Amino acid sequence: MTHTSMREAGPAEVVEGADAALSIRGARKEYSSLAGKRVVVDGVGITVPAGAIHGLLGHNGAGKTTTLKMLLGLVRPTDGVFEVFGEPAASRVAKRRVGFMPEQPYFPPQLSAGQALALYGRLKGLSRAEIAEETTRLLDLLGLRDARRTQLAKYSRGMLQRLGLAQALLGGPDVLVLDEPASGLDPIGQRDVRNLMLDLKSRGVTILLSSHQLSEVEAICDRVTIMANAKVAAEGHIDDLLNTAGRCSVRARDLGAELPPPIAALVDDVAVSGGVWVFSVADSAVREVVDLVADVGGRLVSVTPKRESLEDYFARLLEQTRHGGSGVDA
Amino acid sequence: MRNVLAIALAILADAVRRKVVYVVFALAALMAIAIPGLPSYGVGVVGSVFREVAIALTYVGALVLALALAANRIPGEIERRTVYNVLSKDVRRWEYLAGTWLGIWVVVGAAICMFTVVDQVIAFLQYGDPMFVLWEGSLGVLLEMGALIAFAVAVSTRTGPVVVAVASGAFLFAVHSRSSLAAEGTLVWRLFPSFDSFNVINPVAHGDGVSAGQVAVMTAAFVAWVVGLLAVGHIAFRERDL
Repeated sequence: MTHTSMREAGPAEVVEGADAALSIRGARKEYSSLAGKRVVVDGVGITVPAGAIHGLLGHNGAGKTTTLKMLLGLVRPTDGVFEVFGEPAASRVAKRRVGFMPEQPYFPPQLSAGQALALYGRLKGLSRAEIAEETTRLLDLLGLRDARRTQLAKYSRGMLQRLGLAQALLGGPDVLVLDEPASGLDPIGQRDVRNLMLDLKSRGVTILLSSHQLSEVEAICDRVTIMANAKVAAEGHIDDLLNTAGRCSVRARDLGAELPPPIAALVDDVAVSGGVWVFSVADSAVREVVDLVADVGGRLVSVTPKRESLEDYFARLLEQTRHGGSGVDA
Repeated sequence: MRNVLAIALAILADAVRRKVVYVVFALAALMAIAIPGLPSYGVGVVGSVFREVAIALTYVGALVLALALAANRIPGEIERRTVYNVLSKDVRRWEYLAGTWLGIWVVVGAAICMFTVVDQVIAFLQYGDPMFVLWEGSLGVLLEMGALIAFAVAVSTRTGPVVVAVASGAFLFAVHSRSSLAAEGTLVWRLFPSFDSFNVINPVAHGDGVSAGQVAVMTAAFVAWVVGLLAVGHIAFRERDL
């Protein structure tokens, strides 16, 4: 990971990286009609270094899917530069390196999983032998081996989701673009997909992940871009975005009925429940507080960096954006 | 070309599983079997009537099949979003259109072949003559259907199946109306878009068959229509947001 900068609600300038696998600069999409001009993506920039998992978040209609579709050539951009490993994303060279899983993927219902993967494998340029090998491997990997010959019309939503992931993985792409990959999956399926993404990352695959499941994004993404009202509202490393001014949360027990004054002088946001004290400490005072807890005979339970949940951060950001009034041109 | 063939193959496999292919084939076969029940017009005429009706049935069967497959193929793929899985890969939009056209045309061609074989079997059983000349009529139908499918595919890049079917019907009517709307040999007649070159009923049913020259003209017209219509379809499709 080469980028650690963080920005909020800033312009879509790009953090350039020599090893950028994906680069979107100044992406813009506007639709014109008799009612006027409607901008659905406005100056969006995203750079994903090779081997990273990058989250793309935003409310419904924020412009996430349109941005992904522009990257993949499904929607014509009004403006912007889209590159995969330095090549124009629309070029054949770039497209061969990308796998895409659309949100709620659909397939010809009369096909079986094996037939569908054979079709997409041919379009990926795989040979007959490679298709057979890849089909077996991917259906095994995604738990669809037993349903290989079942008509897709009989597949559940979760099974179609898994097949969508399988077709995206055909040919071993270097870059994966996933639009809501865990949507429709049960908790076990979600965990499997999460582990699969981490496994792919460990093998150097770059992933751009659009998701509403903030816990999933928080668990696996290195960096996130948050879109609101067609623009980038925030972008950065997830720890930087969620860190709350360099403070830690300390939990300790056996400190008595009253918090000892030396400790009380260094902490705030104090709460006690069931004999466990919880308080907030500045990073610089953590060592001193830990020592004081030991000195007064207390027992330290935990020290954790204090940060918001991604849900809280996301909600706060959207609220700020709403009040800021930026976004869609009428 | 690899992508074009892969898409065409997928359409072929899809068509095999669709009931409409079998329904059209069964109806055409039933009607062909009924042809010998038509009134006899005397020695020498009955064979001509059989050939004329057989070609007409082949034409209608192929037309129904072509429109059933072409009108909904692309709109259906866009609506169900199966097109994303194709066009997000290393597939150009023109390859997608060409593959779609080729796949539908091959399916319709296979159906025309089956109709012709059934007609031949009936002709042989009824009249002792397998009437190989029917294949020349089928070639005309096949080439005309190719041009019509190209039109339907081009229109379907921007509209839904109902509009495609209506527009295709109107188009077919227009390209068969030249002799009614313009005097032969005039400039309007020469410029009027027409499918007349595909019409081989007279030489097949009442003459000595289709000449090599007419086959060449038909083939040239077929190529020109298909390339021109698919080019228009590509221009319409390449600007479309999916």
